Amino acid sequence: MSGAGAEKSLTGEAFMHMIKLKVNGHVQELGVKSHQTLLEVLRGPLELTGVKEGCGLGECGACTVLMDGKPVNSCLVLALEADGSEILTIEGLAQVGKLHYVQKAFVKEGAIQCGFCTPGMVMATVGLLQENPNSSQEEIKEGLRGNLCRCTGYVKIIKAVEAAVEMMREGEQT
Amino acid sequence: MKSFEYLCPKSVGELVKILYRYDGKARVLAGGTDLLVMMKQGKLQPECVVSLQAIPNLAYIREQKNGGIKIGAMTRLREIEASSLIQTKYPLLAKAAGWIGSRQVRWRATCGGNLCNGAPSADLAPPLICLGAKVIIGGRAKRTLPLEKFFLGPGQVSLRRGEFLQELVIPPPLPRTYGIYLKFTRSAMDIAVVGVAATASFKEEGECNHLRICLGAVAPTPLRAVKAEKIGLGERWDEERILVMARMASEEAKPIDDVRGTIYLRRHLVKVFTKRILSECLEQAQKKV
Amino acid sequence: MTWKVIGKGLPKIDSISKVTGEAQYTVDLKLPGMLYGNIFRSPLPHAKIKSINTSKAEELQGVHAVITAKDVPLNKFSFFQWLADKTILCSDKVRYLGDEVAAVAAVDEETALEALSLIKVEYEPLPAVFDAEEAMKPGAPLIHDKEKNIGFHVERLFGDPDKAFEECDYICEDRYVTGQVSHCCLEVSNCIVKWDSSGRLTIWTNTQAPHTQRQEIARILGIPIRNVRIINSTMGGGFGSKLVIDMKLPIAAILSKKTGRPVRIENSRAEEFSTAKTRYGYTIYVKTGAKKDGRLWAREMKVIGDNGAYHDKGPATLNFSSMMFGTLYNIPNIRYEGNLVYTNKQMGTAFRGFGNPQIAFACETQIDVLANKTGMDPLELRLRNANQSDQMTFCGAEITSCGMKECMEAAARAIGWEEKRRGKGLRGVGLANMVHTGAGGRFYGYNAADAFIKLSDDGTVALITPAQDMGQGSHTVMAQIVAEELGVNLEDINVISNDTDLTPYDLGSWGSRTTFMNGNAVLDAARNTKKEIITVASEMLEANPDDIILEGGRVFVKGSSDQYSFSELADYAINKRGVPISGKGRFVDKLPSGYTIKEGFAKNIPTFAFGTQAAEVEIDEETGEVKVLKVVAAHETGTTINTLMAEGQIEGSVVQGIGYALMEGLTLKNGKVINDGFIDYKIPTFGDIPEIETILIETNDPHGPFGAKGIGEPGLVPTAPAIANAIFNAVGIMIKELPITPEKILKALKEKKGG
Repeated sequence: MSGAGAEKSLTGEAFMHMIKLKVNGHVQELGVKSHQTLLEVLRGPLELTGVKEGCGLGECGACTVLMDGKPVNSCLVLALEADGSEILTIEGLAQVGKLHYVQKAFVKEGAIQCGFCTPGMVMATVGLLQENPNSSQEEIKEGLRGNLCRCTGYVKIIKAVEAAVEMMREGEQT
Repeated sequence: MKSFEYLCPKSVGELVKILYRYDGKARVLAGGTDLLVMMKQGKLQPECVVSLQAIPNLAYIREQKNGGIKIGAMTRLREIEASSLIQTKYPLLAKAAGWIGSRQVRWRATCGGNLCNGAPSADLAPPLICLGAKVIIGGRAKRTLPLEKFFLGPGQVSLRRGEFLQELVIPPPLPRTYGIYLKFTRSAMDIAVVGVAATASFKEEGECNHLRICLGAVAPTPLRAVKAEKIGLGERWDEERILVMARMASEEAKPIDDVRGTIYLRRHLVKVFTKRILSECLEQAQKKV
Repeated sequence: MTWKVIGKGLPKIDSISKVTGEAQYTVDLKLPGMLYGNIFRSPLPHAKIKSINTSKAEELQGVHAVITAKDVPLNKFSFFQWLADKTILCSDKVRYLGDEVAAVAAVDEETALEALSLIKVEYEPLPAVFDAEEAMKPGAPLIHDKEKNIGFHVERLFGDPDKAFEECDYICEDRYVTGQVSHCCLEVSNCIVKWDSSGRLTIWTNTQAPHTQRQEIARILGIPIRNVRIINSTMGGGFGSKLVIDMKLPIAAILSKKTGRPVRIENSRAEEFSTAKTRYGYTIYVKTGAKKDGRLWAREMKVIGDNGAYHDKGPATLNFSSMMFGTLYNIPNIRYEGNLVYTNKQMGTAFRGFGNPQIAFACETQIDVLANKTGMDPLELRLRNANQSDQMTFCGAEITSCGMKECMEAAARAIGWEEKRRGKGLRGVGLANMVHTGAGGRFYGYNAADAFIKLSDDGTVALITPAQDMGQGSHTVMAQIVAEELGVNLEDINVISNDTDLTPYDLGSWGSRTTFMNGNAVLDAARNTKKEIITVASEMLEANPDDIILEGGRVFVKGSSDQYSFSELADYAINKRGVPISGKGRFVDKLPSGYTIKEGFAKNIPTFAFGTQAAEVEIDEETGEVKVLKVVAAHETGTTINTLMAEGQIEGSVVQGIGYALMEGLTLKNGKVINDGFIDYKIPTFGDIPEIETILIETNDPHGPFGAKGIGEPGLVPTAPAIANAIFNAVGIMIKELPITPEKILKALKEKKGG
């Protein structure tokens, strides 16, 4: 799908490729430059501004999305490398009006202040709990280590994730 | 990032052809968590980026008949961290892998990438060197190299024209071997300011019959503390001997001052970590007896 | 007192839009035809500009404008205009690595970046100075056209400290150093600027103070204030970094004027660390004297504040430090001297705590050293000197509500002071007090707030308030106040604060002032709206006004089962009565008699907030690592409007405090920040936090809305000294320089062993 037929753009610098991927359940087919990251493509042409850029270097986790079910920093994935993959962003989590149990827990426990880290934090949590629905506090802290928050001090985020674990156990999945 | 030609070969043969043709103008893309950072910071501006993503059979963890394992270079760090096989046979390797970055990073980063990046602080290097790992280098001809010979300097590894890191081979663990990796960080998520790994085996009678100590982030490459090893090999250990070994390892280190740590701190921590690791190995050995 | 919504831990009203990714931050906005701007910054810390060549940049395809100093008004600017020292772009000199020299606007970010690389500037390097104390010395390189690098000086004197020190039985004298730290907001500073055909400028930016920033823009561009409109969006953090404009805004304005297009300029994360404004670093000399019985009798402090290359909120910061210095423990004889000194580094600005975390680190650790000398328990020493409520201090500060004693006792109890103080192995506990403002300050002259409420024809309530929500939840606080007073549900209240064309003039969200100042205005508006509602309801329901009950979004008559919705009430008001329902509110801070800004000093604070934090640590003697096991934070809120949010403010502050104490600091090499990313500028992660226990002490402030006062900043003030004191208890060493790194601990332990 990629590698052949590279075109140079108007600026004469960029190499263009077509990629096809599923984003939040919808198939997207678009042309991308070789140096564009998945984050740039999600926020740019796909207009999913819920995915945030915090640092661009994989240090803060604000850009976390699920790629084929695994939490990744979308700022460090070339759009080309996402060709053929399934991406879930924060926008794809809630099902028309109904919040995901992780989102519900974040709201209820006061785990959101400025909210800028929240989309990445929620996606990292979903990835974490999908892998281990019975995560302990230590596992939560370790699993979310890559998500920085400057506002909350993490205390209520941990409470929210623990609450989500409980909700899941009690079968309150959406 | 400056733009580049992106190539995505479907086979090792195709990959080798491309690498040979582009010689030095191309960088291999594995997980991207090192390469893309450097490209974004302008430290690297390759004309061509060659992805390993589409090449089959580069990611695996396979137990060998002799009890050792082979790990494909594209195996994600998260797989290594979570592998029960590795956790059982080589716990220090699983621990080191899990200590790198974040989950998000480890779902993309690969063991091949961590090694080929050639950082003196690469967390996988000291444990793998202690475990006697060898790298299988693919290219026009395959060749094998002990891992400690793979590192040439900061950011430089032994890959010639047309070559790429294909596989890691780890020999079976020796009986009564204990191995530990310790890493000093400034916060819970950090590159190693100092990394120390050691593996030690002891005879029934108590003498140490195998010892490897490897230091990370305190020299231009991961560094075997061979003088310290000589002090412990073939001897029964006590607290004093361990201290002597720790001091020697500290002397063998060649740390620099940088934004992460000073020479003073690094030398000191090599001594402390070596002491702690060797004491722990001895303690574990004595428990088993 | 039981309230319906006040005091409850209700989710914030903006939670859902944030947790779904729907909330739009400034960084998410796009305008049609928008160009991307980028700033060419000086690579040298101190140099004369000899020539600038922008021709190649201008010729690059996709570049719409390139500007240098010749293209901009060269009005000098500063937050305090009488100290103005900075121009939009540097004309003759650059004064720190990162100083703005030129700017471009292009079709996309890549082209803008490439254009920057084509700008050639010739410099004549000048000797530079990076240490404030060094910069004060004669012979130091002069950074501005002045005789010396001291940009501001302030002195305070109460009582007779010289005589008083002679009367003291114990004296401690120490030097402390705190450095420049970065706010690390997750959303970078950014803006979009656009002119319209009538010559009006609209700026979309993340700002904590849109009205005062509007004045600043007008001033620096030399245009009338009425021509400037600032629109805020959901903010990704503030912490003080977003109070005063930085040059991005006027630069974008000029680029926009030149190109006829909207222009976006956004800091990169590296720029946020290496060029944006920081907390003021202080070098502090402090001397404290006590009498035999433990009474603190005299205190003297000299602060050398590192201004950086240009003025910002430094004078106010130094002044505020002096206010808190004078108030804590009500010491009768005090002297304070503050100097703000230019250095060739990033400028300082406001940062949560505003000069208080710095001096609290010095003062509250010195108390423990003093206690050690006297043989007294540090808690006991503090209790003996505790501030009291309804007290005027020796320096003239008027304390109304004061929960200091309660905070101390609660914190000590919760950390296990009695048992743990004896120290077990390498563990120790320490505590620290603080006083802060719970309501901003009077030092800008104006100290009032307005608010407006309308009952929409659909029965929902719209609240117009200038209180800016940067994540701390001021919108929710205001909504809860309205909900409590009007009996409506939180989800039926729409809070609007984002447009200077709409909102009343306000000083902005800083100094922990919004709950007190804006909350009181909102309460007044709600009360006035309630009067109109009751009048209409009593007519509509043919009942006595005293029998009207408003609850749960419905209108009742006492003793009757009839109930009506607010939408029915609104309908009646408009269609039957012919008059809509609304309410205006105002709060004017009652100035003390004889107050003037000049003499104001101690009377600048409408209400004080007290608090105590206690920390338990464990030291690894061999590696020097400090593990914080637990922090107890006991703070008075007056009345807690929302428990989840108050705890959230404290928890967030404590963790910032831990970063400040143990990890954070901008590291420079030859004037260049070498840790300009999260990889090397460490802030606490999930793995770095201790157990945090928050205790909210309710002291019912006489002037706050429902008795509340501010809690935004206090949580950050005592954390570093509490930790330092715990380390002192554990291993007997007092580190007097932040951050307290393992290396400092190791060296101090070595020194202690060496004798």
